[in-house]
Amino acid sequence: MRTILYDVHCSLGGTMVDFGGYDMPLWYPSGAVKEHLAVLGGAGLFDTSHMAVLLVEGAGVRKFLNYAVTKEISDLKVGRAGYGLILDERGFAVDDTIVYPLGEERFGLVVNAGMSGKVIEHLKKVPGGSGFTYVDLADKIAKLDLQGPKSYEIMRGLVAGPEKVFEKLPYFTFKGDFDLAKSAVKLTDGTPILLSRTGYTGELGFEIFLPLDKARELWLKIVDAGARFGLIPCGLAARDSLRAGAVLPLSHQDIGHWHFVNTPWPWALPLSPEGKFTKDFHGRAELEKVKDSADHTLPFVGFDPRKVDEKEAKVMLADQPVGTILTVVADMAIGRIDGKVVGLASPDKPEGWTPKGLVCGFVKVSKNLAPGTPIALKDSRRQLKAEIVSDIRPGRTARRPLK
Amino acid sequence: MKELSELNLPSNVKYHEEHEWVSQSAPFRLGISDFAQDALGALTFVELPEVGAKLVRGEEFGTLESTKSVSPLISPVNGTVKAVNEAIADNPDLVNSDPYGEGWIIEIEMAASELEAMLDVAAYKKLLEESAH
Repeated sequence: MRTILYDVHCSLGGTMVDFGGYDMPLWYPSGAVKEHLAVLGGAGLFDTSHMAVLLVEGAGVRKFLNYAVTKEISDLKVGRAGYGLILDERGFAVDDTIVYPLGEERFGLVVNAGMSGKVIEHLKKVPGGSGFTYVDLADKIAKLDLQGPKSYEIMRGLVAGPEKVFEKLPYFTFKGDFDLAKSAVKLTDGTPILLSRTGYTGELGFEIFLPLDKARELWLKIVDAGARFGLIPCGLAARDSLRAGAVLPLSHQDIGHWHFVNTPWPWALPLSPEGKFTKDFHGRAELEKVKDSADHTLPFVGFDPRKVDEKEAKVMLADQPVGTILTVVADMAIGRIDGKVVGLASPDKPEGWTPKGLVCGFVKVSKNLAPGTPIALKDSRRQLKAEIVSDIRPGRTARRPLK
Repeated sequence: MKELSELNLPSNVKYHEEHEWVSQSAPFRLGISDFAQDALGALTFVELPEVGAKLVRGEEFGTLESTKSVSPLISPVNGTVKAVNEAIADNPDLVNSDPYGEGWIIEIEMAASELEAMLDVAAYKKLLEESAH
């Protein structure tokens, strides 16, 4: 399949690959390293129209979704977004999602490429899920992700009435409606959008949902308006290295057909400070059963940019294999100074310092390892030193106030 | 990706099926072709062999890495590593920006006859055309 921007990617010289059934740009001629750095230093623009938007409507839908999605959404107000998991009865991930309450009986769910059909089929079978209206907006809505510290300055000039739109728009809030005809948020040319202060890079930015037939025009406008801020179009490779450094999971790679428990994303689960579940949700009983025996997913950082082949590599703890690798990428915006991980956005980075990049990602291991635990990543070619960490790329801007 | 017609394929080097080039006369330098650097994407790391290391035709002698992948460097010849390009260890981007010049990878001590098994530019272009179909 192709997104509405396929021709734009080809004309820019994008290297196209299959992702979730869509032909998507892996990188453009500027290359994945420059694209990664552009998002950290200025801004980058991603076509994310391959992702799917679902509308779920009906009386009692909030209560149902609060059972079908792990995130506590019983009190999630219209205008706030919540990240959660859609689990099956075994506690395995069907997909991850951002939940957008649009009204008391109307919710939007954004899920991954090619997942809308599977998610709808799953939700209808979850107890209590059969009586709602499910609408797949894949053929009506395009999405562009504008990400990077300069995103706000770029987006301000493209939105009608920016003072009002950007007022009180912190991380994980949105304005507008997926029923775009009803949306009060508009571009300067009158195009209705849903503007979400979210993204997949760890940096300040927006996900912009808009009518399919307006996507090309907005893409060109953002590229034009962003040029003086160093904005360049970015592909999937930069998206992957940015999200890994931001400790965000890739669905079907870092979360998938295994128990969603003991992960670096505990905020996706309804947990009390004591680690107890605070609501009932689909898959909860199984997660409670396996919590003490299930594998642990943990972030790691290495000491140089070298990688191993994640398909065959083992995670070694004192020469004993303890697990496998889920994600391994090089984040080229970080390096080590006196052993400490420093990033291009770190306030304490030395003047004129250029990072050499570090390997990072996620491992899935049989025991909980504390941050700082030394591990090795071993494939048939090499054995790399790395350590378990609690965070990867320092100085991320996603939560920075808009000003 | 670049179209075949956009690739820079100089005729003064010999090519290998694994997308490396070697200069036609001493000093014998080795690098990767424009096709290879374009397909691999922006390089993040080059693992170079030690000076003095033996090279065996068809065997791995180093790696090229992008943010996501690790690709082996396969020797097209038998010989010995005479020198390595330290500049690309510090700046792997040179392999992308100037694959036949500043982005050379190693210099090899070898017999000129080692080149006989390699491809000239016409044969290499043909190989690329065939693999594109």
